[in-house]
Amino acid sequence: MPGLTVVGRRFAGRLTSVCLVAAILVLLPLFANSYQLSTLIVSMVFLLPALGLNLILGYTGMLSLAQMGFFGVGGYTSALLAMHFGTPFWLNFLAALVVPALVAIPLAIPALRLRHTSFVMCTIAFVFILDSASKNWVSLTRGDMGLSSVPRPRLGLWSGGYVVHTTAGYYYLGLFLCALAVAALIAIVRSPAGRYMVAIREDETLAASVGGRTWHYRLAAFVLSAAFAGAGGSYYVHYITVISPTVFDPSYTNTVLVVVLGGGVGTISGPILGGVVFVALSEALRVAPELRMVIYGLILTTSVFAFPKGLIGPLFALWRRMLPSRERGSHAG
Amino acid sequence: MPAEPKLALSLRGIRMNFGPIVAIAGVDLDVAAGKICGLIGPNGSGKSTLFDCCTGLVRPTAGRVLAGATDITGWGMARIARRERLFRSFQKAVVFRAMTAEDNLVLAGQMAAFSTLASTFSFGPIARRRVRELRVRAGELLERVGLAHMRYSKAGEMSFGQQKLLQFASMLMPEPRIILLDEPFAGINPVLIERIVENIRVVNRESGVTFVIVEHNIDVLRDLTHRLVVLSRGSILADGDPDDVIRDPRVVEAYLAG
Repeated sequence: MPGLTVVGRRFAGRLTSVCLVAAILVLLPLFANSYQLSTLIVSMVFLLPALGLNLILGYTGMLSLAQMGFFGVGGYTSALLAMHFGTPFWLNFLAALVVPALVAIPLAIPALRLRHTSFVMCTIAFVFILDSASKNWVSLTRGDMGLSSVPRPRLGLWSGGYVVHTTAGYYYLGLFLCALAVAALIAIVRSPAGRYMVAIREDETLAASVGGRTWHYRLAAFVLSAAFAGAGGSYYVHYITVISPTVFDPSYTNTVLVVVLGGGVGTISGPILGGVVFVALSEALRVAPELRMVIYGLILTTSVFAFPKGLIGPLFALWRRMLPSRERGSHAG
Repeated sequence: MPAEPKLALSLRGIRMNFGPIVAIAGVDLDVAAGKICGLIGPNGSGKSTLFDCCTGLVRPTAGRVLAGATDITGWGMARIARRERLFRSFQKAVVFRAMTAEDNLVLAGQMAAFSTLASTFSFGPIARRRVRELRVRAGELLERVGLAHMRYSKAGEMSFGQQKLLQFASMLMPEPRIILLDEPFAGINPVLIERIVENIRVVNRESGVTFVIVEHNIDVLRDLTHRLVVLSRGSILADGDPDDVIRDPRVVEAYLAG
């Protein structure tokens, strides 16, 4: 591409690949069957809390295992609103962002005083408390039975509107929500606040010495990550139309961790790739039900050894080889 | 009666105990604005701890710290940096290794360009323009300290001396008033030492920035500083003109005795 600067060429390359991926994703329902689409829907259900974990772990450097707790809070909030008040999806979804974020604040005040393993333990305990609360607050949550026949997402301004009911419809709804979430994450990490967050991950004392209000940004990352998880909970509950205390099961937390760490922590595209690959892999392995988890575990272990920076690592390396880097470009003039 | 010189930094009766250990045993020190002040002393004499007290990393057990006329005792690091433009370097943690040299400087300049918490979350055209301006300024500063060729390199890939230069440049980004340097010349080659020294002189002369420098390299300090303070066992042993202080027999003895 003559006449373009190196930066321009990088931008053009990135734009082309983003457009290509977007086109594939939008046209996919024309080729994929509903089983394949529902696998991708599950990927997107896990992608939303994974993006939040990526913000707090990948960019701010704190391992929070509370994501599925906030996911559950968002799910229950969305379900209860829809069941009791018949509210449209956008309102349920908004509430599923706000309520987990509000719950995150009182948790954060003691938890953010802790560092490293103590912080991780605190976030695990939070999920245990929610698990117990959801089982015992029967009048609100119906306990272990859970909430069933949650209304399907109704896309209308207030009353009426289109009710999503096809797999393709759920797929497009998820695609839209994930696109919003990815755009939000990009906006956050590229803002000055995002730069402070990375600084905190690198060295908290040094970050404070350049004027970074470290407590505020750690709080912001924690609260925002809760909102991402709540978004996932809302999408999930209107998709499977059931929610019970099993959402607080540690296996779901593990899946979110695998998506982020296996995909590529601290990158935008890593968790997206991780979400698609690891959830699809888990589904594909249903052909061998007895060995499913054994094979899954082996593949996961191998991939961690082969790609310590996540699946996105080798892709980035390839990308760099295809396009001239900025510093080499500046040497060339 | 001549006017009192304006003070950049005043320490009043600073004491710092870590459990039974007395790190600083009562220090009174006034640093005049626009001066370069050296702080020397044997290992463990409390120099870095004194910096920690000034910059809010630790709260002194007793005593007060004033930046200009403002009492900053008990303030946090970020607040002292933002409000008083008082910055420090660290001996070991030097730069943000995962960021490029340019991003290190943009980060350091953010506190001036984005003063409120909410403004740091904005990504609109105004925020983008401000970041662009910071990038331009970062480029100029990198040029000035001789790191222009490393602009887009990860700071972690630079040599230790280059990282220290970068750290120095990052303290110049937000228009500093006082800079505390903790062993800026330790472990780097003479060419880079000369470059840092030259930059300190220029910044001090042109922008009137006050410096306090902890350093073991007495030869460099002797030429660079206006005043030399010697700390020993947590109190001030000598204070005055660099040449006089270095010849002071008590200072010689303190150094030889370790």
